[in-house]
Order: sequence, then structure tokens, then C-alpha cells
Amino acid sequence: MKIRIFVGTGGVGKTSVTAASAVAAAIDGRKTLVLTIDPALRLRTALGMTDSPREQRVEHESISSRGELWAVLLDVASTMDRLVRTDVSEPEAKAITAHPIYRLMLTSLAGMNELVAVERIHQAIADGFENVFVDTAPSRHAFEFLDKPEFFVQLVSFPLVKLVGRTFGLWKRGLAGIDAGSSKLYGTVENLVGAALAGQVLEFFAMFQPVAEGYARRARNTIRTLSDPKIAGFTIVSSPGRARQDGQYFFDELTRRKFPVEMLIINRLWPAMDLKQSPRVSPATRDLIGWYESVCASQGASRDRAVADWAGKGQRVIDLPELARDVDGIDALVRIAENLQKSNNAASSSRNPQ
Amino acid sequence: MVRPVTVFCGKGGVGKTALSLAFALRQAGEGHRVLVITSHPLPELALSVSLAGLRESNPVAAANLFVIHVDPKEVLGGLVRQSAGSSLLADTVLSSRVYRSLIEVLPGVKEIAFVSRVRDLAVQGAGPEAPQGFDRIVWDAPATGHFLRTLEVARGFDSYLSGPLALLGKSVAGFLSHPSSLTLIPVTTLEEMAVDEAIELCEKLMAELKMRPVALVCNMASPLLGTSDEEWERLRENFLAEVTGAPNASMILERHAIERTLFARLRLAGGIPTHIVRRKPGGTSDVGLLLELAAEMGGLPGARVS
Repeated sequence: MKIRIFVGTGGVGKTSVTAASAVAAAIDGRKTLVLTIDPALRLRTALGMTDSPREQRVEHESISSRGELWAVLLDVASTMDRLVRTDVSEPEAKAITAHPIYRLMLTSLAGMNELVAVERIHQAIADGFENVFVDTAPSRHAFEFLDKPEFFVQLVSFPLVKLVGRTFGLWKRGLAGIDAGSSKLYGTVENLVGAALAGQVLEFFAMFQPVAEGYARRARNTIRTLSDPKIAGFTIVSSPGRARQDGQYFFDELTRRKFPVEMLIINRLWPAMDLKQSPRVSPATRDLIGWYESVCASQGASRDRAVADWAGKGQRVIDLPELARDVDGIDALVRIAENLQKSNNAASSSRNPQ
Repeated sequence: MVRPVTVFCGKGGVGKTALSLAFALRQAGEGHRVLVITSHPLPELALSVSLAGLRESNPVAAANLFVIHVDPKEVLGGLVRQSAGSSLLADTVLSSRVYRSLIEVLPGVKEIAFVSRVRDLAVQGAGPEAPQGFDRIVWDAPATGHFLRTLEVARGFDSYLSGPLALLGKSVAGFLSHPSSLTLIPVTTLEEMAVDEAIELCEKLMAELKMRPVALVCNMASPLLGTSDEEWERLRENFLAEVTGAPNASMILERHAIERTLFARLRLAGGIPTHIVRRKPGGTSDVGLLLELAAEMGGLPGARVS
């Protein structure tokens, strides 16, 4: 099994590169799943997916008979539903999923995507996929799906929620037997957000505890899996102009968290133009060519600096050329997949045209 | 007096941060005192755009420009300190896991906190981050989805029935509903997905939030975009005769045809005036690039035409 995770800043074509890599694996005949946890849902456009189902099989003539490609747009509600039912009995699950705070959590909680992403990766592994490709949210949000579960694990692994469940009930009924510290704490929290809401949230926390513990256990395991270089690898996707800074930033952040960095992809590199102008060329055309050449030269120079910086890290750098139009369907992805293969073979050579 | 807040918003990667800084630089260079509020933590911002060398190349702008990052958790911490009464109790609350999980779980709390800080800065014209004071604000907004959620939060605050958050929610709603509080400038590049997202953003802003953007910036445009249709047709007819080097020559033509189609689509959307910022080859320092961008931003509302 192999899990590949793609990180990068916004607008660098991360989703297309992830989807194209998944297409390449399916062409090679593997049972492949591509999962996007970016709420922008660009995977739908990139894969030319039909409207409604958020999980569907993608068909294409180039995918070998042994291969399979499944595309999944992370769905907080369905992932949570499966999660809740993993750990508690059906009546308890019903009580949890009917609770108003559960509904609020699903619809308006920023960061839910990041929290359930790791559970969805676990589910994909459990479903027996050979290759899992994960498209993350831009920039520092990329790390939230790795950092947040740990924060959550710490929160629930401690008998805190049990404690809240017990002492909160006592306090709500105005009973004695609660220490002064907790009493003041609840008082302040109530003053801050209003008593009704605070009560509901704390009540829900108490009920949700076994689910949270099950989630926490699996999240820990999954994240441990993601730090095993034999199974997982992180790919940094960047644009030519920012490859050096982005590459360094993501490399440092991933290494600090002990996750294995696999490669840097410099996406949408404008090709060296190599154009010849006739002697009677019009000024407008000459200016346009001049502009293209200067943009290309500047991109090439940034790209070369990034490659030089990256040389010491012992990981591959792969260039992908700019395409004339947006990636809008599986045919375009198959073309990128071919380019990936080509660049992969020529990974360490320089871009010098000579 | 409430200081004007200009907001650059749009899809990730279209250049909101660079344009916010360039726009602010332009005004700071003219002697206005400008505060840039970014949603990127500053170390991350410095990675993508560096202001190193500004003091030497443009001392006036350097003296008038302040860049800050607003962290909603700090704003909420301040609120707790205010309402707790004693600093000992505030410390207990702030360090407790119940509090830390509540801020993560309560809907919209971080967004309310963020907007309330923007409002306070606009009203007070000074803050601990910029004690010298400023007379205008540029907000480098988060990417479309999160930005809309931030603006919509004023509608959801009524889940807070009482307490300081409910009060905060009401005052934030008041600020956001005032038409002159925010000057919105969506940004897009001329790529299909970015353009679709920009159009959708403008429609949502106008229909659901009753906020009308004052201009739509087309960033990283080619120099050809400003030419007339006749000039473009003439160039297109002669191009392949004057230039050889397939397939790149035809790729250039195809790109421009697409660029023009997308630009036309943008101009039809909502009738918001478009403003073209041409792509700069780059290569010089970040500050050099920002100053070049700033030169392209004359005529945008809020920018004084020099």
C-alpha cells in the first residue's frame, strides 16, 4: 500500500497534479483512490465528475482492466456518520446524531474537514485501496489535518470529558460536591457564551466521549502510518516563482513533524519559447514575444535557484509544463500523467535547452 | 471617524497579498498612513512577499506602512480577560482544555472575533500593533470560501443568546451591514476556475450580503489584454507568418484567445468595473515587483490618481 499526500500554497494546481498522479496509478493497474480535503472541491472540475455523488468511480479507456480509480470529495457528514457508528450502539449513535450541537458541528464548524480527513484516510485503508492520493487544503491549512487530530486526541484522551460530564451535571443542578475551581470555570464559560449554548455543548461533549476516544485512537494510528516512509510520502507542489521559498517552508514544516518528504513538483513552468521572428515582424508581435521570453527567463531562473537549493535534500524535483488551458476533465489529466512520467524519468537533469 | 477599509478578496493564488501590499505601498508613498491586515501569520507572509529593502528604496512609504496579522484567539483571550474580572481566573480559563475546545467547537467564534478586531482598528485608528496611528486600512482577505464565511458570520451570531459574544456579534453585524464600512475589490487571474469563482463571489456578495464590489481586478494579465479587438485580430492573422516555433507559437495564440474570452465574461458579470494589472516578469527584488504593481493600480477606488 502507498499513500501520497500533496501539499502546497493556493493556486499552484495542487488538485490537478494529485488527480493526475492518481490517474497514472490507475493506468498502471492499481486500485486507486483520490481524496480531496480542500473545501474548494476543484477535484470535481479536474476529473469532470458528475453532479451529485461525492464518491464515484472514474472510467477512462486508458485505465487498465486491473486498475480502478475512485474519486472522493471529503464529506464531513457521511464520514462522521460512519465514525459515530464505529464506536457506539445504534440508539446511542441516534442520540448523538440528533443532538443540536452535532448538527452545528457538521454545518458550521470551521476545521471539521481537517478533523475528519484523517478518519477518511483510515476508512480508505480499511476499504483495501492499494494507492491513496490526498489533495490537501492550501498553505498552512495543509498541516491542520495532521495537527488538529493530535490537539483533539489530547483533549479527549485525558478523563477530561468524563470529568466535565460528571461535574457539569452536578453544577447544573446546583448540587454540592463540585470543587470551587470547576464552579468558577463553568460560570465564566457561561457568562462568555450564554448559559443555554454552554449547557448544550458540555452535555454533548459528555455524550460524545466514546466516539471521540475511538476517533482519537484511530487518528493516532493513521498519523503514525503517514510518518512511515515505506508507506507514505509527501509531495510539495509549487509554482516556478515560489518554488524556492515554498519548497523550503513545506520541507521544514514536514520534517519538523517527522513526515517523509518525497519530491518537489514545480508546476506550470512556461517552456523556453525558442521562437524565431521574421525580419519584418510587426512591433506588436515583437513586444509580445519579448514579454513571453522575459517571463520564461525569469521563471527559469527561479526554477534553477529552487533546484540548486533542493539538491542538498536528496529528494527528486519534477517540472511540469504550463498547459494552454485549464485542466477540465480526465483527458487533460491523462496528458499531465504522461508529462509526470516523462519528467520523473528525467528528474535530475537541468532545464538548460543546450 | 471610521477609517476606510479596502478589501482584496478572491481565489487562492490570484495575488491578493501582493496586490494588498502594492496598493498600500502606493498610498503610503503618497503620505497616507496605511495599515495592512493580513490573515497570514507574519513569518509565513515574509516567506511569500518580503518588504526587505523598502526603507532604502522608498523611505516615505516605509515610514507610513504597517503590516499586522490578526489572530482571533488573541482577540478572544482579551475578551476573557475583560469578562473574568481577575487575571488569575482569566489565566485559569485560558489555560483550561474546556475553554480551548470550546473556541474550536463554537460556530463562528473565531470569525466574529476577527471582524470585531478589524472594526475596532477602523474606529480607533490606532492599536498596540501600530500605536502611531493610521488613516486607512487594507485587508488582505482569506480565500473565497473562508472570506464569505467570515462575512456571513454576522447572520449566525444569534445562536449566542446572551453574554459578551452575543454583544460582539450584534456590533459586528452593525459594522458589516453599513455599506461604507468595506470597499470590496475581488481579484482574479484570467484562468477559467479563478474567473468562475470571482463571478460567483461577486454574485454572492451582491445578492446575499448586499455588498457591491467597487472594482474587479484582473491580475497577471498579458500586455495584449489592453489592446483593441481590431489590433488583436491583426496580430492573430499575422502571428504565425511572422513567428515560427511550433507548438509554442500556437500556444501563445490559444492562451490569448482564452484570456480575451474570459475577460469578456468577467465584464458581463454584474457590471462591476474591471481593472487590469499586467503580469510583471519579476526577477528583481520583491519590493521592486511590488512597486511595479503599485504603478499599475492607479485609478482604483481609494487610490489617489497621481
